[in-house]
Amino acid sequence: MRKFKDWFYERTGFDDFINFLKKKNVPRHMYTFWYYWGGAILVLFFIQIITGIMLLLYYKPTVEAAHKSVVKIMNEVPLGWIIRSIHRWSAYLMIAFVFVHLFSTLILKAYRKPREITWITGCLLFIITLAFGFTGYLLPWDEVSLAATKVGTDIPRTIPIIGIWITKLLRGGEDVTEETLTRFFAFHVCVLPLLIFAIIGIHLILVQKHGMSIPISIEKKKNTIPHIPFYPNFLYREIIFWLLIVGIVITLAFLFPASLGKEADLMAPTPKGVKPEWYFLFLFQTLKLFPSKILSIPGDTFAVLLILIAGIIFFFLPFLDKKPAGKSGKLITYFVYLLIIYMIVMTIWGYVS
Amino acid sequence: MKIKYSILSRRKFLNSLLSGWIITFFSTLLYPIIKFVFPPYQEPNEVILPVAQFEDMALFSAKNFSWGNKPGILLKKEEGLLAFIAVCTHFDCNVTWLPKEKKFFCACHNGWYDENGINIAGPPPAPLKKLVVEVKGENIIIRKEVKLEKI
Repeated sequence: MRKFKDWFYERTGFDDFINFLKKKNVPRHMYTFWYYWGGAILVLFFIQIITGIMLLLYYKPTVEAAHKSVVKIMNEVPLGWIIRSIHRWSAYLMIAFVFVHLFSTLILKAYRKPREITWITGCLLFIITLAFGFTGYLLPWDEVSLAATKVGTDIPRTIPIIGIWITKLLRGGEDVTEETLTRFFAFHVCVLPLLIFAIIGIHLILVQKHGMSIPISIEKKKNTIPHIPFYPNFLYREIIFWLLIVGIVITLAFLFPASLGKEADLMAPTPKGVKPEWYFLFLFQTLKLFPSKILSIPGDTFAVLLILIAGIIFFFLPFLDKKPAGKSGKLITYFVYLLIIYMIVMTIWGYVS
Repeated sequence: MKIKYSILSRRKFLNSLLSGWIITFFSTLLYPIIKFVFPPYQEPNEVILPVAQFEDMALFSAKNFSWGNKPGILLKKEEGLLAFIAVCTHFDCNVTWLPKEKKFFCACHNGWYDENGINIAGPPPAPLKKLVVEVKGENIIIRKEVKLEKI
């Protein structure tokens, strides 16, 4: 065995990686808890891959067959219902955790120099995660998901000049049709997975390169910050968290199986009470707030442009907030808390109304 | 190696030649890819429906028909049939006709249109798109509204 190990290491250089993990340390302080979320997201993502491939064995991405194949998964395929429900709940949790990871990074200012590119790859991963949710939502081809897709893919149209082309690209034409379903399927199972793998790779390499970010308040207080070894101390703690997550996902999937609405009909009027998934509710509610015209610009164009500008600022935040422990840092922290409160309030409002 | 009076070294010249070539090559590939990704689609110029299907409609009732990929609505009024593309001008949801209220309603964001398709409440920024209805013998011909240009 030992001989084989040596043979393998000599040819692959894998021992460098093992040595790196042996030497890797994680700082230990009152915010260490927030270091667990990235790994947790990865665990949920792996659950998504496994359950996603399983669903692929039965799912059929055409207008005629999509809904029927999901009904089959739910009613006939052995354990199909729980696999689909795990896929749904693990997706929900993954998105929720991505939000947590994002906000903790913001509040602890982990995006600052030299981690600008880590932040940007993180933003891209955030967008890809939401895109996974958006494209996956249409695939069961039920009434509500069709309406949500119609609205969602029509939103870019309000952006002047390029918007219409984005809408056409997403829909595969002027309208949401069978082309859209095929396209969303291709995005969901091929384009987005390839993208997310590549960017997760870069994100992880950069995190290893820079090590964990230590919040300024901690750095200021102490001269030496205690570290714990990644293996076994940190990893074992992570595994506790991971097992907890797996337990929660399976419990939720078992108690609240994924629902399936009536089959979508492209010509039917939109049913009442259409709402997007919870992670888009705050945006949905924001769009509702705008009147049809503001300063002679259509209200929705105004709202979408506003959201777009906010997104761009978000993306390039490390280049705007450069000073460690500067005043701007506090301002951003307050702003983030405000944003979190806004999102929660709007989500609840969107859910209730 | 750099020749006297030359702005570039030979290596730099070759590198820019190669990278320029690579960029040009891949950007020419972009055109067919983009072309391929957008399928052709044309909104129909007219749709012909048999009169028989719509004869016994009550006043202020509506029936759906297909306008290309979009649903259309035929509305019976005193002056005859009116046709609209039954798609909300806000965010593209399909609208429905509510005969009691005599209004079109979009359930996505609570948009309302009156019996002439005019946006009256909620977020819709424009009236429903109206189509021209003409009854000719056995057929109802529904056409795009032709906009006459001023001379």
